[in-house]
Amino acid sequence: MSFDFELILDSIPKMLVGIGLTFELLFLSLALGTALGIFLLILRISGRWYLAAPTMVYIYIFRGTPILVQIFIIYYGLPQLEFVRDSIFWPILKEPFGCAIVALSLNTGAYLSEIFRGGVLGVDRGLTEAAAALGISVRQRFIYITSPIAIRLCLPAYSNDVVSLMKSTALASTITLLDMMGIARTIVAETYAPYEVFISVMVIYLVITWAIQRTFAWIEKRMSRHVRREA
Amino acid sequence: MAAVSGWWDDFFWGSLVVVELFFVALIMTVLFGLIGAGAKLSNSRVAKSIASGYTIVFRGTPEILVLLLFYFGSAIILTAIAQIFDPEIKFVDFPPFWAGSFAIALIIGSYATETFRGAFLGVDPGQIEAARALGLSNLQTFIYVRIPAMWRLALPPFGNHMLSLVKDTALVAIIGLEETLFVAEQAIAYTAKPFTMYIVVGAIYLGFSTIITLTVMGLERYANRHLEVWR
Repeated sequence: MSFDFELILDSIPKMLVGIGLTFELLFLSLALGTALGIFLLILRISGRWYLAAPTMVYIYIFRGTPILVQIFIIYYGLPQLEFVRDSIFWPILKEPFGCAIVALSLNTGAYLSEIFRGGVLGVDRGLTEAAAALGISVRQRFIYITSPIAIRLCLPAYSNDVVSLMKSTALASTITLLDMMGIARTIVAETYAPYEVFISVMVIYLVITWAIQRTFAWIEKRMSRHVRREA
Repeated sequence: MAAVSGWWDDFFWGSLVVVELFFVALIMTVLFGLIGAGAKLSNSRVAKSIASGYTIVFRGTPEILVLLLFYFGSAIILTAIAQIFDPEIKFVDFPPFWAGSFAIALIIGSYATETFRGAFLGVDPGQIEAARALGLSNLQTFIYVRIPAMWRLALPPFGNHMLSLVKDTALVAIIGLEETLFVAEQAIAYTAKPFTMYIVVGAIYLGFSTIITLTVMGLERYANRHLEVWR
């Protein structure tokens, strides 16, 4: 057993070809998931049980099952159903890329809506009461009073979720997508050198994680610049 | 649902494998978490940097990557060792059950390390000083004072780690362990009903998640039972 450095130098450029797909998966499903999360949050805190109850069921199901099973249900499972094949969504759902985006967005949306809810619940009630006393409408209160504070409160949890979403994108390799993980698995299947290839791709993933964390630390610092006390 | 009828027993045995995997990995997770937290809180700089390297690597890389690295990596080492004794041997692998539970435990253990560290720091120093004053030894203080006070703080996040753990067991099907997802794949090859079979897998996991959530709720009530008087 030896450590083949040439193979590492050889395979890193190949794997970096897949970084584009990894980022596409990450950013697209993060954007869609965030939108879904906000939508679910609004349903959840609407105060109407017929809106909140289905949302809770949705969150319960998507947080209670493995993302891998969700990906398999959407990619391998849905084509079994005829009405799915006849629907307008079929062009998206017949491609592995579309399925991965759908699965990752649906999954992360469920987690994000819980994170957002935590942020909204963390906002001091006195603030919204004061706003109500000033005659500000419910919608305006949510947009101008609750949201800015809630966003700040849930940023750390949001950044953790972005990291776990990034890690989940690697599962797209199980449905034939050639993201970084998919390419790494192909190279390992060809060369049978798991240490060299997997450790190199591990380092690339670690760099991405680090970059995500630094970015959010910077955003957090900026957003709370007027909250911090003077030293 | 008629298609599933012949497969219930297989799904049952698959679920049993998930349960076994869960408990084996859970024990290792607690162990790794405690060792990691101990190292992070120790005065040794070497132990501290090893522990932080551990948490950075295992929290920042995709689970499937760690799993594949461990499975194929250990197989290469074992094959190399076996070939010393018998050059005819082509492939020896670590049983997927053990490779899988070890890899999952290392991943969740890195999260548990942070949780336990925070919980140990959250124990009121006054309680430890009081234990000292009563003449309890270091070990006694650890077992009778630190652990009971700490696990009350650690339980809610640790419950989430247990949920991630049970969901990560689905990944072990990728390296060929005969758990529910693997059973579903066999059933699909036979019945060509992927949607039905994967929904069954999802339902099984949802059941496990529900049991864990309820158990953690019960444990939290048990851990806080003497605090309820004045709460």
